[in-house]
Amino acid sequence: MKFLRAAVREVVGLFVGDWLQSVVIVVILAAGWLAVSRVGAPAVVLLVLLIAGQMIWFARAEARRARKPA
Amino acid sequence: MGQQFFSFGAAFLGSAVESTEALTIVLAVGLTRGWRAPLLGTVAALAALAVLVIFFGQLIVTRIPDSALKLLVGTLLLLFGLRWLHKAVLRSAGVVGLHDEERAYQSTVDQLENATDWVGFILALKGVFLEGLEVVFIVIAVGGTGKGLPVAVAGGLLAMVVVAITGVVVRKPLARVPENTLKYAVGVILTSLGTFWAAEGMGASWPLDFVSIGGLAIIYFGASRLAVTLIRRPTLA
Repeated sequence: MKFLRAAVREVVGLFVGDWLQSVVIVVILAAGWLAVSRVGAPAVVLLVLLIAGQMIWFARAEARRARKPA
Repeated sequence: MGQQFFSFGAAFLGSAVESTEALTIVLAVGLTRGWRAPLLGTVAALAALAVLVIFFGQLIVTRIPDSALKLLVGTLLLLFGLRWLHKAVLRSAGVVGLHDEERAYQSTVDQLENATDWVGFILALKGVFLEGLEVVFIVIAVGGTGKGLPVAVAGGLLAMVVVAITGVVVRKPLARVPENTLKYAVGVILTSLGTFWAAEGMGASWPLDFVSIGGLAIIYFGASRLAVTLIRRPTLA
């Protein structure tokens, strides 16, 4: 059981580092899915910009956390 | 053709990075405790990984409809690629230390002090299996979705063989492999491929089809450099 739990944690860890960031990415994709069917190509442009934007945001947030004195 | 090139390249680079890390563990065990246990562990891990590639590769190619497959794999690839890219940005900005094979080697050697033989087997098995799991995902995701599974498998295997042969020749950790740069590149490629397929799975079509992945890679690389610059910039008090 302990081995199984560790294996599941390893597999989940391949995709999820920060749960909040992963949820944000999935929400962006879900919104993109809805928008693509209605707006088409402009929705894809917005999707890419949002993904790039969240990457910058979360990297800066982690850097700030890492530098904050304990 | 371009699609197959991307699949091969992503699988090759991803496998090169992970194989280098796995090789360090196997070398650490082999050079300090003898080769029998780590080689058996490596063979067992490779066999388990091969079963995963064959099982999930077939399942993905034959059972899942194309658009659902693109959306699912695109989403997973995006999560996976962004994780690599996130770490690469933090390493480039100096927030997280660079991965160091010499240090990883020493850490494995330290774990082997006063250990019995089966510990060497378990360390090699676990190391090769866990590092290989990421290669398996990359190979199945980029190969299965782009209908180029054999090409992706070939890319993954070729990198593994090249790293193994180099390891046998030099008999020490491959500290000069630019792992952090490779991880950065693979992060950008996988994030771009993930976006491309996720959007196709949503029903979008890309201008110039597969060539758009190059454009996506430029955007994500630019965004990652911007993140590095912003992180390095001193904050105003």
